[in-house]
Amino acid sequence: MMNAAIQTNIARLQVMKAKVLAALRKGENYELKTELNSEYKERRKEAVRRVIANMTVGKDVSGLFTDVLKNMHTDDLEIKKLIYLYLINYAKTQPDLVILAINTFVKDAEDSNPLIRALAIRTMGCLHVQEVLDYLCDPLRKCLKDANPYVRKTAVMCVAKVFNLNAESAEENGFVEGVRAALSDSNTMVVSNAVSALAEMNDMAPQRKVWKLEPQSVSKLLTAINECVEWGQIAILEALSDYTPKDEKEAENICERLLPRLQHANGSVVLTTVRLLLMYEKFVRRADLLAQFAKKMVPPLVTLLSSEPEIQYVALRNINIILQRHPRLLSKEIRVFFCRYNDPIYVKYEKLDVLVRICSERNTEPLLNELKEYAKEVDADFVHRAIQAISRLAICYESAATKAIAVLTELLETKVDHVVQDVIAAAAEILRRYPGKFESAIPTLCEYMDYAIEPHAKSSLVWVLGEYSEHINNVHNLLSTCIDSFIEEEDAGVQLAIINSAVKFFIKQPQRGQVLVLNALKTATEKCANPDVRDRAYIYWRLMSADPNAARAVVLAEKPPVELENVDLSPALLQELVSELGCVSSVLQKSEKLFVYKRTEKAGVPRDSDALGSAQPGDLDGDALGASATDNGSGMAGGMNTTTNEGEPELLISF
Amino acid sequence: MGQLVKVGGYVSTLFNKLVYGDKEVRILVLGLDGAGKTTILYRMQIGEVVSTIPTIGFNVETVTYKNIKFQVWDLGGQTSIRPYWRCYYANTDAVIYVVDSSDRDRIGTSRDELMSMLNEEELRGAALLVLANKQDMKGAMSAAEVSEALGLPRLKNRQWTIFKTNALKGEGLNDGMDWLVNAIKGSK
Repeated sequence: MMNAAIQTNIARLQVMKAKVLAALRKGENYELKTELNSEYKERRKEAVRRVIANMTVGKDVSGLFTDVLKNMHTDDLEIKKLIYLYLINYAKTQPDLVILAINTFVKDAEDSNPLIRALAIRTMGCLHVQEVLDYLCDPLRKCLKDANPYVRKTAVMCVAKVFNLNAESAEENGFVEGVRAALSDSNTMVVSNAVSALAEMNDMAPQRKVWKLEPQSVSKLLTAINECVEWGQIAILEALSDYTPKDEKEAENICERLLPRLQHANGSVVLTTVRLLLMYEKFVRRADLLAQFAKKMVPPLVTLLSSEPEIQYVALRNINIILQRHPRLLSKEIRVFFCRYNDPIYVKYEKLDVLVRICSERNTEPLLNELKEYAKEVDADFVHRAIQAISRLAICYESAATKAIAVLTELLETKVDHVVQDVIAAAAEILRRYPGKFESAIPTLCEYMDYAIEPHAKSSLVWVLGEYSEHINNVHNLLSTCIDSFIEEEDAGVQLAIINSAVKFFIKQPQRGQVLVLNALKTATEKCANPDVRDRAYIYWRLMSADPNAARAVVLAEKPPVELENVDLSPALLQELVSELGCVSSVLQKSEKLFVYKRTEKAGVPRDSDALGSAQPGDLDGDALGASATDNGSGMAGGMNTTTNEGEPELLISF
Repeated sequence: MGQLVKVGGYVSTLFNKLVYGDKEVRILVLGLDGAGKTTILYRMQIGEVVSTIPTIGFNVETVTYKNIKFQVWDLGGQTSIRPYWRCYYANTDAVIYVVDSSDRDRIGTSRDELMSMLNEEELRGAALLVLANKQDMKGAMSAAEVSEALGLPRLKNRQWTIFKTNALKGEGLNDGMDWLVNAIKGSK
C-alpha cells in the first residue's frame, strides 16, 4: 500500500517534470502565459512582475498582451501601475486589443482614489491610439473638473496628448477650452501645467492659434509662479517671454515681480528668467531699472558656476551669449571664471572663452598671469587655446602687450615643444600689431629657431626674420640655413615665407642679401615642385629685375593692421539664441531649426514656421507612473529645460 | 491506495494554499450585448443593482458564495468584442450564459455564439449555466422556450441547466449559483 502510494507520487513527479520540460521547450513566454492565467492571485502577481522585468530589459513580451490585460482589474496598485506601463509600451503594436482595457480604464477614472483616477487618465492619453480616443472623452471631461488638483493637472496634460493625436477632436470636445479655463485654477500646479500644455499645443499646430497669453492672465501667472515647482516656473517664464506687454509700466512690473526667480536653485529657472529680462529690455526704457536688472543677474550666474560640471558647461555657454548682449556684465567677477585644475576640459575651454570676453583693460594683468599657468598644463589643446588667448588680449589691449610679451618669453624658456610653436606664432602676431615696440624680444625669439617645427610656427618665425632683419645680428646665417633646407621643407606656406623674407632682406640690405636672394629664387624656380611657390619666386625675380623701386614699394608696403578673428555670433543668430536662453540651442549655439524637426517634416528639411517657439520644455507630467500628488517632476532639477516629451516620440534631436 | 493518492492531492493543494493563497474558481459570464451580464455580476457581488454602461472590455470581480471563491469574468458582448472572448477561455470552470429573454430577434445570434463557444477545446470541461434573463419584460420567452431556441437539449457531454432570472430583482440568481456550486464540487 505504502509502496503503491510512493509510486503514484513518483508518477506524479514525473508528470510535473514533463510539464516543466515542455514549458521550457516552449520558452519563457509560454510559462509566463500559464502563470498569468493562474488560479492563484500571488502567482499572477509574480508573473506580471516578471513580464515587466522582461519588458524593461528589452525582451519582446508583446505576445502576452491579452494575458497581462486580464490582470489589470485589480486592487493592487503596484500591479496596476506595472500593467499600465506594459500597456503604454505595447498598445501601439496591438491597437485592436486595446479596447479590452477600456472598461477598466473608465472605471479607474472614477475610482475614489485620486491617484488611480489620474493614473488612468494619464495612461489612456499615453497610449496614443486612435481607438481609445472615443472612450477617453467622457472620463477626461470629468477629470478636467475633478475635485482633486492632481487629477486636474493630469487631465490638463492629457488634453495636450489628445490634441497631438487628433487636434479637431480636442477642440470640438471643448478640451482646449477646458485647459484655457484651467489657467484660472485655484491650484498653481494645475495652472503651470495648463500653461505648459497650451504652449505645447501651440507648438504642435501653430496655424490653429490655440492660445495667446492675455493681459488678464498675466497677473494670475505672476502670482502662481511663486508657488510652483521649478518645471512649472519654467513653463510660466517661457510663456511670459513670448508675451508682449501692453505698456512700459506692465513690462516693468513683470520684470520686478520675476526678479526673485533669479535666486532659484535650478539653473534652468535662472537662465529662463535671465532670458525674460533680456527680452523685456526692449520694452523697459528706464535706464536705472535696466541697470538694476543687470546687476541682479550677476550673482545667480556666478552661483551656477559652483554646481556640477555639466551645469557649469550649460551656464558658461549661456553666459557666452549673454555677454554678447552685455559685454561688461561680469567684468568684476573675472576670478570666478579662472579654471580649476580639476575642471573637465570642456568647462575649461568655455571658461577660457568667457575670460577673454569679459577681460577689460583693468584686469589684463591677473588674467595674463593666470593664462601663463594654463599654458604650462599638460593638455596640448588647452595650452594652444591659452596662448591664443594671450595673443588675443595683447592685440586687444595695448597696455597688456608688454606683459603678454614677457609672459610669452617666459613660456619659451620652458622649451616644451608644442608650447614653443604656439608662442612663436603668438609673438609674431603681437609684433606685427605693434610695429616698433617689441623689437627687443626678437633676438630671444630667434634663439628658438631650431624649435620651430610646426608650419605655422616656422612660417611666423621666418616672417619675423625678414620683417625685422635689421634687429637680428645673425639673420644672414639663419636665412641661409632656411634656404639650404628649402627643398626638404614640406609645407608650401613655409616655403613662401622663406622666399618673402629673403626678398625683404635683400631689399633692406642689398649688399648682404644679394647672393642669398639669388640662391633662394634659383632654388625655388628650378627645384621646387609646387607651382605656387615657383610662380611667386618668378614674380619677385621679374619685379626686382624690372624695377627695384617698384619692388621696394610692393615688398615693404604698409601692412593693414592685425584684426582679431571675429568670435561673435551674427546679430540675427544672437537674437534668436537670446530668446532661447537655457534651451539646447543656446548650448549648441545653433539655430533650433538646424536640429529639431517636427513630426510632419522629413528630417533634414528645416521648419519654415516662425522661430519664436523655442525648443519645448518637456511635459511637466514627466514624473514616472508612481509619482504622488505633490512631487510633479521636482526631482528632475536639471540644467536644461529641453526634454523630448512622451507625446511627441518622433521629435528628433540630432547633434 | 486511492485514499493515499487523495492525501497527496491534499498536500499539494495545501502547499499551494499556504504559498499562494486561496484557489479561485473561474467563471465566465457571456452573452450578447445588453443581456444583463454586468448587472448580474454586481448583483452577485454586492447584492445591489448598479447603473451600468456597455462594457468595452471586461469586468472581473471576486464573489464568495457558500465559502467558495469565484472569480467571475464579465466580458463585453458587443460584436466587436466577441472575437476576443476566446482569450479568456483558459482554466474556466463554468460558463454563465445570459440571454435577454425578450429579444426574440437575436436569439438565433445568441445560439450561434453559444454553440461556437462550446465547441472550443478549452471549454470542454466547463459547466454551462444558462440564465433566461429579463423575465420581468413583457413578452419574455419562458425558460423552456429559450432552452429550445438555443438548442440546449441537443447538447452532448455537457453539464448544463437553465434558470429564469430577473437580475433587477435578483430572482433566480441564487438558484443558479446553488446549481453551479454543486456542479463544480461534483466535477472535482
